[in-house]
Amino acid sequence: MNWFYFASPPTFYRLAGWLAPWFFVVAAVLGAAGVYIGLVEAPTDAQQGEVYRVIFIHVPAAWMSMFLYFVMACYGGVSLTFNTRLAAMMARAIAPTGAMFTFVALWTGSFWGRPTWGTYWVWDARLTSELVLLFLYFGFMALASAFEDPRRGDRASALLALIGLVNLPIIYFSVLWWNTLHQGSSVSFKGTSMHVAMLTGMLLMAFSFWMYSIGTALVRVRAVILERERRSHWVRALAART
Amino acid sequence: MNHAFYLWMSYGATALAVLAEIVALRARRARALRLIEEERDLEAQD
Repeated sequence: MNWFYFASPPTFYRLAGWLAPWFFVVAAVLGAAGVYIGLVEAPTDAQQGEVYRVIFIHVPAAWMSMFLYFVMACYGGVSLTFNTRLAAMMARAIAPTGAMFTFVALWTGSFWGRPTWGTYWVWDARLTSELVLLFLYFGFMALASAFEDPRRGDRASALLALIGLVNLPIIYFSVLWWNTLHQGSSVSFKGTSMHVAMLTGMLLMAFSFWMYSIGTALVRVRAVILERERRSHWVRALAART
Repeated sequence: MNHAFYLWMSYGATALAVLAEIVALRARRARALRLIEEERDLEAQD
């Protein structure tokens, strides 16, 4: 199989258009199951009561915020190394969804923090490093669109994304490195102490967010391709048909 | 305050954020297609 065939914008445009609806359908099914298990099936927490149910949104959103940044930086690295147009377009397409999930993680975290810690916000290492991640996403998007020549914007923003990678281990290990108000991880590769229904609901939501992110990235990259390739014959022909 | 407030503020805000992103995506595609049409019309006039 020739993978470079799919690196061509016209080919990828068609492929993304075909794939995106399927990812949205899977995301909706998994999301509905996750919300049902999270709000109905999962038992009430012995210490936090009902408010712990914020985890079914908060934890998957926080995971996605870091994972999407990593994927975005990888695309940035590929675009810098191989000078590929599509990799840079994918990095641009991922950034807004990553920023959205970072915002959701911070927002839901503060609405979980108020009843459990007694405050919406504290300058704790985990919260602060997650806020820095949101600023990194904003910086990436601002830098990518700050240049008249989009290729220069691609290079500058890719560099920022790669430098910002250093923040990911800081977020992940912040609860171990510093004495934080934020609790440590309840789920790790070694296992979990959570009830099986809680874990199932959380994983379903995480997969739902993942599928949604792929769907939105594919839809957005199609718009980016249209913007960037608008003077090419194939885009003109395509626009004339729609 | 009732715990339901914190839960619905979390779930509601997430639903709103997802909805806003989908609306923004559709608007961006429509804007891109409009831009292509405008440029084509301008070239046709020349």
